[in-house]
Amino acid sequence: MSGGPPKALPSTGPHSLRDMPHPLAGSSSEEAVGGDSTPSPDLLMARSFGDKDLILPNGGTPVGTSSPASSSSLLNRLQLDDDLDGETRDLFVTVDDPKKHVCTMETYITYRITTKSTRVEFDLPEYSVRRRYQDFDWLRNKLEESQPTHLIPPLPEKFVVKGVVDRFSEEFVETRRKALDKFLKRITDHPVLSFNEHFNVFLTAKDLNAYKKQGMALLTRVGESVKHVTGGYKLRSRPLEFAAIGEYLDMFALKLGTIDRIAQRIIKEEIEYLVELREYGPVYSTWSALEGELAEPLEGVSACIGNCSTALEELTDDMTEDFLPVLREYILYSDSMKSVLKKRDQVQAEYEAKLEAVALRKEDRPKVPADVEKCQDRMECFNADLKADMERWQNNKRQDFRQLLMGMADKNIQYYEKCLMAWESIIPLLQEKQEAK
Amino acid sequence: MEQAPPDPERRLQPAPLEPLGHPDAGLEAVVGEEVEAARDEGSGDGTMTENNFWLKKIEISVSEAEKRTGRNAMNMQETYTAYLIETRSVEHIDGQSVLTDSLWRRYSEFELLRNYLLVYYPHVVVPPLPEKRAEFVWHKLSADNMDPDFVERRRIGLENFLLRVASHPILCRDKIFYLFLTQEGNWKETVNETGFQLKADSRLKALNATFRVKNPDKRFTELKHYSDELQSVISHLLRVRARVADRLYGVYKVHGNYGRVFSEWSAIEKEMGDGLQSAGHHMDVYASSIDDILEDEEHYADQLKEYLFYAEALRAVCRKHELMQYDLEMAAQDLASKKQQCEELATGTVRTFSLKGMTTKLFGQETPEQREARIKVLEEQINEGEQQLKSKNLEGREFVKNAWADIERFKEQKNRDLKEALISYAVMQISMCKKGIQVWTNAKECFSKM
Repeated sequence: MSGGPPKALPSTGPHSLRDMPHPLAGSSSEEAVGGDSTPSPDLLMARSFGDKDLILPNGGTPVGTSSPASSSSLLNRLQLDDDLDGETRDLFVTVDDPKKHVCTMETYITYRITTKSTRVEFDLPEYSVRRRYQDFDWLRNKLEESQPTHLIPPLPEKFVVKGVVDRFSEEFVETRRKALDKFLKRITDHPVLSFNEHFNVFLTAKDLNAYKKQGMALLTRVGESVKHVTGGYKLRSRPLEFAAIGEYLDMFALKLGTIDRIAQRIIKEEIEYLVELREYGPVYSTWSALEGELAEPLEGVSACIGNCSTALEELTDDMTEDFLPVLREYILYSDSMKSVLKKRDQVQAEYEAKLEAVALRKEDRPKVPADVEKCQDRMECFNADLKADMERWQNNKRQDFRQLLMGMADKNIQYYEKCLMAWESIIPLLQEKQEAK
Repeated sequence: MEQAPPDPERRLQPAPLEPLGHPDAGLEAVVGEEVEAARDEGSGDGTMTENNFWLKKIEISVSEAEKRTGRNAMNMQETYTAYLIETRSVEHIDGQSVLTDSLWRRYSEFELLRNYLLVYYPHVVVPPLPEKRAEFVWHKLSADNMDPDFVERRRIGLENFLLRVASHPILCRDKIFYLFLTQEGNWKETVNETGFQLKADSRLKALNATFRVKNPDKRFTELKHYSDELQSVISHLLRVRARVADRLYGVYKVHGNYGRVFSEWSAIEKEMGDGLQSAGHHMDVYASSIDDILEDEEHYADQLKEYLFYAEALRAVCRKHELMQYDLEMAAQDLASKKQQCEELATGTVRTFSLKGMTTKLFGQETPEQREARIKVLEEQINEGEQQLKSKNLEGREFVKNAWADIERFKEQKNRDLKEALISYAVMQISMCKKGIQVWTNAKECFSKM
C-alpha cells in the first residue's frame, strides 16, 4: 500500500465518446468468444463501440481505457475458495479495474465484472460488464427479497462516516473493490444463490437500468410465499438450535465489535508513535552535523530510524486497508443473519398460530387444511435452508478469520523484520574504527 | 606540566554494553600507577606534592542507597538518601580485593566535591554528576527523587562519576578526592578549609568577560559554540525520546486487550476456540514485554544525559579561558595607558585627555618636583605591571595548553563512549525486534490452528 496522502483516482474529465475506444474493443488479445463464425450480436455491438453510445449505468461517460480482458489474465486473477478445492467449478466471477466517471450530475466509480461460466443459464461463456456500487446494492436487495430463507453476504458500507475519507482515493477504492469481489464470490459459491435470476442479470446485462425499471422478478416459490408472511405472530418456542444460533450471533457480533475497537485504537497509537519517530530520527542528523568522528554513526542511526518509520507506516496502512474492513464486513454479516433468523421465527409463529386455530375449531376429522400445510412446508424449507447456510457460513467464517488473523500476524512480523534488518545493518557502521578527523 | 600519557590502563574501560557500569560489576580503575611525573598541576592548592595516593589498583563502587532522616542546617527535619561508597584495593598477586574503605555520603557532598574540583582544576573538563532532579521523564517514570527507580539510577550515576574522576590522570591525584573516599567525618570541614569558595570566580565576572573579551583563542570560541549546540541537540533528543517511549508503551499495552477478548471469544467457538485462546496468551506476553524494554532504554538515556551535562563542563573551561584572557587584556590595556601617561608627563605633551591635564590647565601647572614624583610612581607601577603581564601571559598560555590537552582527552573519551552507547542502543532495538518477531510468529501459529 502507499505511504503519504491518499491518491486520487486519475480522471481526465468528460470526453467525447468517439475518442474513447471501448474497453472490450480490443484487437487480437480478445479471445474468440463464441467461435469463428459470426460473433453473437452482443459482442458485435461491443466491438463497434467506437461509434455507438456506450451503455453504462446512468449513461455516464467512460474515461480512459482498460486492457481487454484476455482469458489468461483473467484466470491469473481468480481466487479459488479453499473449501471448493477439488470441486468442479463452473462459474468464475471477478471484480477489478475501477474507473472514475465524471458527468455533469455526479462523479462515481464503476468496476469491471468479468464472468466465465459453462452453465446453461449463461448464453455466453464469458461476459464483461461495468457496475457501480448502486448496482451491487440493488442486487443485494433483490437477493434478500427473492431468497429470504438464505443468508445473503454483506456489502461494504455504503457511506463512509469516520474521518475525512476521500471516496475517490486509491486506497478507499481498492478496499471497496476487494469487498465487492468477496461479495460476488460468496454468492458464486452458494449452491442456491448463484443460480438466482437477478444475479445472472447483474453479471450479464448490458443495460442493468432497463432491467431494474422493468421490476421483473422471478421469485422462487418459497420466496414469494415468505414475502407475504405477516408479522405479529408470537413465537411459542424457538427450536434449540436456532436459539443457540441467535445467542451465538449476539455474542459473536459483540466480540467482533470489541476487536474492531481494539484494532482501531492500536492503529491510532501506532500513528501517534509514528509522528514522534518522524521527529526523533532527524535530531540524530542534526547532531551528526556537529560532530567529526561521530558524524557517520549518528547519521546512520538517523537513517535507520527513518526506515523503521516507513515500515511502521506500511503496517498501519495495511491494517487500515485490509484488516478493519473485513472485520466490519463480518459485523454486518451477523446483523443481516439476525434478521433472517427473525423472519424464520415469524414463519414458524405463523404456522403455529394457524395450527392452533385449526385445533380449536373442533372438527370431527381434524384434517390439516391446505394452507396450514403450506405454512408447515414453508417453515421446514426455511429451517433446512438456514441450517445448511449456517453450516456453510461457520466453515467460511473459520477460514476467513484464520486467514485474517494470520495476515495480521504476518504484517507485524514483516514490520519487525524490516526494522531488524535496518538495525542489524548499521552495527558494522557503528563499530567501524575511523581515522581521527 | 607534564600530562600523563594516555595509557589505556589508566582509562576507565567500560564493559562494551554497559558504559555506565553495571550495578554489580564494581569496575576497576587503575589509577595513578606511575610514580614519576607528578608535579604540582594547575592552579590548585589542594593537590599534594606527593605522587599519588593509589599505590595499588582500586575498585570503587557505590553499592547501596539508604533513606535517612536528620536535621538540616535550619534544624528542620529532612529526609535524604545516603549512598555507601566502598573502596577496594586489589592485590596483584592473587587478584583478591580487600575492602579498604567504606563510608556513606549524600548527594550534596558529591556536589561539594565537584564544586571544589571545578575551582581547583579549571583547565580540566570535570565529569558531571547525575541529575539532581528527574528530567525528561516519560509518563510511567516517576519524577520523585525518593522513587526507588530514580534512586537506583542515581546510585549508578554517582558510581560512574567517581570512576571517571578516579581514572582522570590529573583529578585522581587530588587529596580532597582521596579523603572523600576515605575520611567520613570532618571531610566537609576539610574541604571548606581550603577556602575554595573564595577562590571561585564570580558568575558576574565571568559573564562580563564573555561579552568583553576581544581576542580569545579561536579554538575556545569554537568549542563554546560546539558545547552550546551539543547541549541543545541532546536536550531535544532526550525530550523526543521520552515521547517516543510513551507512545511505544501505549502501542504495546493496547495489544493486551486482544488477550482478553480472544479468550472471551474462544468460549463461544468450537474448533476455533483453542487457537484463539493460545494466541490471546501471546498477546498478553507481547503487552508485558514493553516494561523491560523501556527500562533498558533508560540506561541509554542516562548515557546521553551524562554528555548533556559534560557540555556544561566544557563551557566552564571556555569561560575560564575567556576570563583569563579578558584579565590579560585589561592588564595590558592598563599598562599601555600608564606608559602613555608616563610619556606625556616626561615630554610635557598632552595627547590624550586626562583629568590631571584638565586640572593643570585650570589651576596651573604642577611643580617639576611634583611631576618627578608622579613619573617615579608611574614607572614603578609600569614595572610591576610588566611583571604581572608577563606572568599572566605565561599563566594564560599554560592554561590554554593544559586545557586543550584535557579537551583532546575528553574528545576521545566522548567519541568512544557515545559510539558504545549507540551500539548498545542498536543492540536493544535488535533485541526488541527479535522479541516481536517471536511473539507474532507464535501467535500466527496459534491462528493457523484455528
